[in-house]
Amino acid sequence: MGKNTAQTEKALSVEELANRREWWFVAEKTRSKRLDYLRKGVWKKGAIGGNYAPGIKIDLTFPQLFTETWQEHEGHPIMLQKAHALAHVLDNIAIFITDNSQIVGYAGSAPHNIVWHWQGISMVNEEIYNEEGIIPEPEEESLEILATLNDYWGGRTSVDKLARVLDPEDAVKFMSGAIGWGTPTSAATYSTKDFDYIFKGFEAILAEIEERMEETEERLQGNPSPELLPLYDKLPRWEAMQIVLEASIRYAKRYARLARTLAEHFESDPTRKEELLRIAETCDRVPANPPRNLQESLQFDHFVQVLARYETFEGAWPHRPDYVHGPYYDKDVNQEKRLTREEALDLVGEHLIRTHEVGIFAPKYAREGLQGITGTWVWTMGGVKPDGSDACNDMTIAYMQAARLVRVSNPTFGFRWHPKVKDEVMRECFECIRHGLGYPSMRNDPVLVANTVHWYGHPVEEARTWVHQACMSPCPTTKYGCQPMRMASATANCAKMIEYALHDGYDPVVNMQMGPKTGDPRRFKDFDEFFGAWVKQMEWLRNILVRTVNLGRVKDPEFFGRPFLSAIYERAVETGTDAVDPSNGERGNAWVTGFTWVENADSLAAIKKFVYDEKKYTMDQLMDALNANWVGYEEMRLDFVKNAPKWGNDDDYVDDIMVRCLREVSRHAKENKCPSNNNWPLLPENVSGNIHYANLVGALPNGRRLGDALYDGGISPGPGLDKKGPTAVLKSCSKFDHVTAGRAFLLNQRLSPTQLSGEKGYQLWKAYMKTWADLGLDHVQFNMVDDATLRAAQKDPEKYQEVIVRVAGYSAHFVDISRKTQDNIIQRTVQGLG
Amino acid sequence: MATCKDCKSFFAREEDRSQGDCVMRVVDPRQAYYKATPVEAETDASKCSSFQKK
Repeated sequence: MGKNTAQTEKALSVEELANRREWWFVAEKTRSKRLDYLRKGVWKKGAIGGNYAPGIKIDLTFPQLFTETWQEHEGHPIMLQKAHALAHVLDNIAIFITDNSQIVGYAGSAPHNIVWHWQGISMVNEEIYNEEGIIPEPEEESLEILATLNDYWGGRTSVDKLARVLDPEDAVKFMSGAIGWGTPTSAATYSTKDFDYIFKGFEAILAEIEERMEETEERLQGNPSPELLPLYDKLPRWEAMQIVLEASIRYAKRYARLARTLAEHFESDPTRKEELLRIAETCDRVPANPPRNLQESLQFDHFVQVLARYETFEGAWPHRPDYVHGPYYDKDVNQEKRLTREEALDLVGEHLIRTHEVGIFAPKYAREGLQGITGTWVWTMGGVKPDGSDACNDMTIAYMQAARLVRVSNPTFGFRWHPKVKDEVMRECFECIRHGLGYPSMRNDPVLVANTVHWYGHPVEEARTWVHQACMSPCPTTKYGCQPMRMASATANCAKMIEYALHDGYDPVVNMQMGPKTGDPRRFKDFDEFFGAWVKQMEWLRNILVRTVNLGRVKDPEFFGRPFLSAIYERAVETGTDAVDPSNGERGNAWVTGFTWVENADSLAAIKKFVYDEKKYTMDQLMDALNANWVGYEEMRLDFVKNAPKWGNDDDYVDDIMVRCLREVSRHAKENKCPSNNNWPLLPENVSGNIHYANLVGALPNGRRLGDALYDGGISPGPGLDKKGPTAVLKSCSKFDHVTAGRAFLLNQRLSPTQLSGEKGYQLWKAYMKTWADLGLDHVQFNMVDDATLRAAQKDPEKYQEVIVRVAGYSAHFVDISRKTQDNIIQRTVQGLG
Repeated sequence: MATCKDCKSFFAREEDRSQGDCVMRVVDPRQAYYKATPVEAETDASKCSSFQKK
C-alpha cells in the first residue's frame, strides 16, 4: 500500500471507515493496544496458496528430543514408549512468553516454528527434506539432522506399518490421490474433547488412574483365570497416561517459573509485573487442578490443545468454548466483578490469537486443499443445553465481538441456531458476517440434533452437546460420544463416481482401472441402466475408503498410540485402553466427506435430458467430446453448460436426480459399518478440494473440462449457474430431508454488502434465515465482500492483507489463497435478498 | 571453565539448584518474547555466544 494512502485511511474516523466497509481498519482502531500488538505479532502459519510464508521454519528440537528418548525405550508397549518420549519433550523443549500476553503455551520452541509429526508417513518426511524455505539455519546441519531422523523413522511410521497389512490393490488406489484424500491413522487426525471430564483437573485423573491400577494389581494376585490375562496390558497403558499427565503438569509449571522469573528479575512496569505473577499463579494451578476463573479456564483449555498437538497432528479443533468458559465469564464479570467486560474481551481476543498462531507442517496436497489455514478449526457457538434450553451466554457474544476485533481466519465459528436464540445474539452473528469474516456458518440445531440421533443412536441429551468435529460434522462431547480419530479420512472425490460410470470404471486421468467394470455407456439402453452403473461406482468408491479407514482405526493403538488423549478420555481411563480403541464403548460417529458432489447431479441431468429424453446427442457424441476434453466441441459444451438443467434453480428435473442419488447413498451408508458397528453417512463439502482436484477429474457432462475448478462444494450450486435467486437455491436444497439423507450439507451463498447495510440489511438477512430454517436446511454460510474489493485485493494484495473470505468449510485471508480459488469465489453468484 | 551457573541468564530452580533455566530476551521481526531453555548449572558455557558473566 502506498504510504500516503495508509496514512489517509488511518486518519479516517471509525464511522467513516465503517461506511467504506474497511472493517480491517475499523478493527485496528477499536481494539486494545494489547490485542493490536498480539494480533500483529502472529507469524502466519497457513500456507499461502500451497507454500509457507517466508520465515516459517520446521521445529527440529521436538523430533530430536522425542526420538532420543523413544530409542531408549525400544521394546516397551507403544503407548508407554511414546509417553516417555513426550514427557522428555515437555520437560526440555524451549518455552516462551510473548510481551503483553496473558495466555501461554505453544506447540514448538519459537513463535515462527511449526511442529512436524514425523511418526505418520515416511513420504511426508521425505517431502520436508526437499521443501525449500522451511529448513532452519544452518541449513546443512539441519538437513543432516533431518536425514538421520528420516533414516530412523523410515518403515517405522504408522502408515508404513499400515501399508503392510492393507490389501496391496486397495493401497495403490487409496494412495493414488485420485479418489480421495486423508491418512487412515491418528497421526493426522482430530479428536472431540469432553471438558466436563478434563476440568476435573489432571491431579484428580491421576488419582483415578492410581486407584484403578491398585485394584487391578490386587486382582492379578488372586486366582489365575483367563479373565485376568487382558489386565496385564492395561497396566502399562495406565502407566503411560500417568507419565504424560505428570509431564503436562510440569510443563505448565515451567511457564509459572518463567513468568515468576520475569516478574522478579526483568520487568519494571508494575502492571505487567502483576500480569506475569497472575500467569505464574494460573500455570501453577492448571491443568493440575480445576479452573477457578476465566483466565484459568482459558489457560487450561489452551494447554490441553497445545499438549494434544505435541502428541499428534490435530488438524481440526472440535470445541464449544462459549459453553465451556461461559460460567467462568459470568462469575468473573457479572457476579464477582473481578474483571471488566473490556478486560474479559482482551482475554477472549487473545484466546483466538493463541489458537490462530498454532502451526503444524502439512504435506503439499493438504496445503492445497486447505489454502491459507493450518487446519479446519471450526469452533461451535450457541446451541442448546442437554435439557433443550438455550445455551447462548455472554461468552457467545464476547467471542463474536472479539472475532471482529482480531479478525483471524482460524479458528472460525459455526453457530447452532435454534428457535429460542435471542435477537441480541443473532445480531452479533450478523455483524460478524457483515464485517466480511465469512463466519459464523449457521447450523440448524433441531435438524442436526435429530440427525445425530438418527444416524448413530446417540441419546438426545448427548446429541445436544454436539460440536463441529471438523468443518461440518456434529459430534457429542460425552463419554461415549467423543470421537478420537479422524474418520473423515474416508474423504471421497465424488466426481469420480460419474466419471467412472462413463468410463467403465477406468480413470482416464491417472490411466488405471479403478472402479468395477460397469459396462460401456454407449451400449446402455436407457437412463436407468446408466444410473445403475453410477450406483455401482458410488458403492465401490465408498467401500474402498471406508474399509481402509476402518482398518487404520482398529490398528491405530498398535501402530501409533495416544497416551495423552487416552489420559483425558474418561472411557479410556476407566478401561485402561487407548482412546482410539473402538472396543472401549465408543458409540460411533463416522462419516464420508463428499468432495465434488454436485457435479454428479448436474452431469446425470445433462445425460438424461440430452442423450435419453430429448435424444439431442448420442452417447457416442458425448463420449467423443469428453474424451477430447471438449476440445473441438465448444458449441456442444456450451449447450451442456447453458441449456442442461442445473441444481439450485428449483427445477424438479435435476433436483429429483439429486434426491435419487442421495437416496442411494443413504441406503448404502447403513450397509457400511464402522468398527463400532455404526453407520457411515455422506457429508458433502469441499474445503478447497475443488481446486486441488481440478487436474485430477476429467471432462464431465456438465460442461466442465479437465483443469477447470470444480464446483465450490457441498450442495452449493455451480458458480454462476444458480440463476433463479436465493429462494430457488433454498427450495432446491430443501427437496431432501436433512435428517435422513446424509450427515450434513454445506451451502455457500454470497450476499451483497451494499444491500445488507444498516438495520434494513439485518432484517432482510433475518427473513432469509427464517426461510432457511422453515425449509429445514442444516447449514448455510456467507461471503459478504463485494467483487470490487476482491478484485482490488487481487491487484494490490499488500493493501488488502486482512480481507477474509469463506472458502468452503473454513475462512481464509483472501490474499493467502491461490488465484484459481480467488477467481472461483468471485464467480459465485451474488444473491439479492428480498 | 565458565559454566551456565556463572551466567546472568541462568536462573536456578528452587527445588534443585543444580538445574535451572537459561532465560533470554528475543526480538524477532514480528514480536518480542522471553524464552526459557532447561540447562544444568555445571554445563560448560565456554563456547556459548550468549554467555554474560554474572
